[in-house]
Amino acid sequence: MTATSLTYFAIAAAQGAFKNVTVSERTAQAFADGSWILAIVYIVVALGGLAALVTLSGLVLIYVERKLAAHFQCRLGPMRVGWHGIFQTVADAVKLLLKEDVIPEKADKAMHLLAPFLSMMATVMVLGVLPYSPILQITDINIGVLFVTAVSGFGVMGILLGGWSSNNKWSMVGAMRAGAQIISYEISATLALLVVVLFSGSLSLAEIVQSQDAGWWIWRANGVGFVSFIIFVIAVTAEINRTPFDIPEGESELAAGFHTEYSGLRFSFFFLAEFINMFVVSGMTATLFLGGWMPFHIGAWAGFNGFMDLIPPVLWFTGKTSVVIFLIMWFRWTFPRLRVDQLMYLEWKVLLPIGFVNLFAAAVVVLYNLYPFPILVP
Amino acid sequence: MIASAIYTVLFYAIAAGTILLALAVVNTRKLLRAAVALMGALSTTAGLYAMLDAQFLAGVQVLVYVGGIVVLIVFAIMLTRSGELLEDNPTLKRKLVGAVISIGFLVSSVGAVWGSPFAIASAGKAPANDALMIGKALLDYGPGGFVVPFEVISLLLLAAMLGGIVIARKTPPTGQPFTSGGDLPGEAEVYHPLSQRDDETGGRAS
Repeated sequence: MTATSLTYFAIAAAQGAFKNVTVSERTAQAFADGSWILAIVYIVVALGGLAALVTLSGLVLIYVERKLAAHFQCRLGPMRVGWHGIFQTVADAVKLLLKEDVIPEKADKAMHLLAPFLSMMATVMVLGVLPYSPILQITDINIGVLFVTAVSGFGVMGILLGGWSSNNKWSMVGAMRAGAQIISYEISATLALLVVVLFSGSLSLAEIVQSQDAGWWIWRANGVGFVSFIIFVIAVTAEINRTPFDIPEGESELAAGFHTEYSGLRFSFFFLAEFINMFVVSGMTATLFLGGWMPFHIGAWAGFNGFMDLIPPVLWFTGKTSVVIFLIMWFRWTFPRLRVDQLMYLEWKVLLPIGFVNLFAAAVVVLYNLYPFPILVP
Repeated sequence: MIASAIYTVLFYAIAAGTILLALAVVNTRKLLRAAVALMGALSTTAGLYAMLDAQFLAGVQVLVYVGGIVVLIVFAIMLTRSGELLEDNPTLKRKLVGAVISIGFLVSSVGAVWGSPFAIASAGKAPANDALMIGKALLDYGPGGFVVPFEVISLLLLAAMLGGIVIARKTPPTGQPFTSGGDLPGEAEVYHPLSQRDDETGGRAS
């Protein structure tokens, strides 16, 4: 592919020429044309792609987390397996797969087996609607944002079930804490998300990205976008149970929290779901506030904008997501863990009022057209 | 033709799943399993809505029932620690009364559904963006709008929320009746969530 055709591709992408050509729509088209095999190939590619994404990003994120943690603490981190330890996670994964899968004798076995799958299911379902690039999205549904909020309920159920069915007090307390925390912070995350929905006038994730053609909502929304960005990042950090909000698995008090009694493959499901969740919420943050796959543009600087268009949309999405992931990992080595009462205080007495005021302010801004750039999506 | 065949197969699969899960809700002896089966039944119902192109309704079904109601039920089960229903042999009288009531309910509900004419819009099509239409209808105060029921429901929810807070709070503010009676006098100067509360006064401000 020459540079010219690449530029053409990027410009066409930025102008929305490929809008809404999702994998599911291609499948439906192939089906309508009567080419069965193509439709099945599309379905297999979509499922295989999701599986590859889950595995690869899990391996990469765990490695990055360990390396970053080490460098924040002036250590080297994994260094032995491969160059700078890049195969460390592969080795760990193999070890986890080979481990014995222990189910406690007094556990509710069926529920014990079901819980990790529920957690994983909630995560993978969100991966299916994220727009990775204008031509790469599994399916774009009208209710995208609502869907993402809704399926997180399965994740909560997975954690609660895992904690209960283990028949262990640590697991149970960890699950209760996780449940209470996720339900509480979901409210703030939703309030922050509604601000973007107000501005873009759509629930569909692809259309939300399209609406940021003239500027990303984080700064185009006159301040309210930035406030809701901060609220959203804090709330989703709590939703995925990461430090400083990791009391559900506080090692010093609860052993390992809700997954204390899990081992082997089932433990790795919980573990993987946690890391993919980090990718998911960072991808959502990038999609809602940082323009998704939209390149970075400055006003009328045609030369600069053209140069930015050279970078493919997938790289823009991955780059923005990586920045947010780095931010969340940075939190972990910066803030100490919150106590339960501090956690609830932060949500109900700080974030929630700010979220409501911010939503109201956003409504005023949208109603009176108080923002500098024109809206493109009606 | 193949598409409609797939659609039919999917419909019957989801419907059968819903019925089986609903049976599991009432037949299992473990409360938590009943809650999980309920979650499954409600999710498959959302699947039926999605097949009818009512995407918004399907999303709200999952959001409210799986993320809200079922999680609440699971929390209640966990807090009360009554995981199993232990009654093995109900008396004959209870069995008879139960059978009569359930058969009566079955007859009356089937009769009601059978007897009422449902206007099926066979030629109608679901709107392309149902979330938009529902939102407009909910906040419309003209004919065909639902703004009054919408606001009345929000008032009802507010009242329920306030009731929950009043019941749950341990320390009543001084001079207020109808609270459950707390262990500390006067909440305002006592409860500091961010301060350390492990001194010998029990967190009481001196």
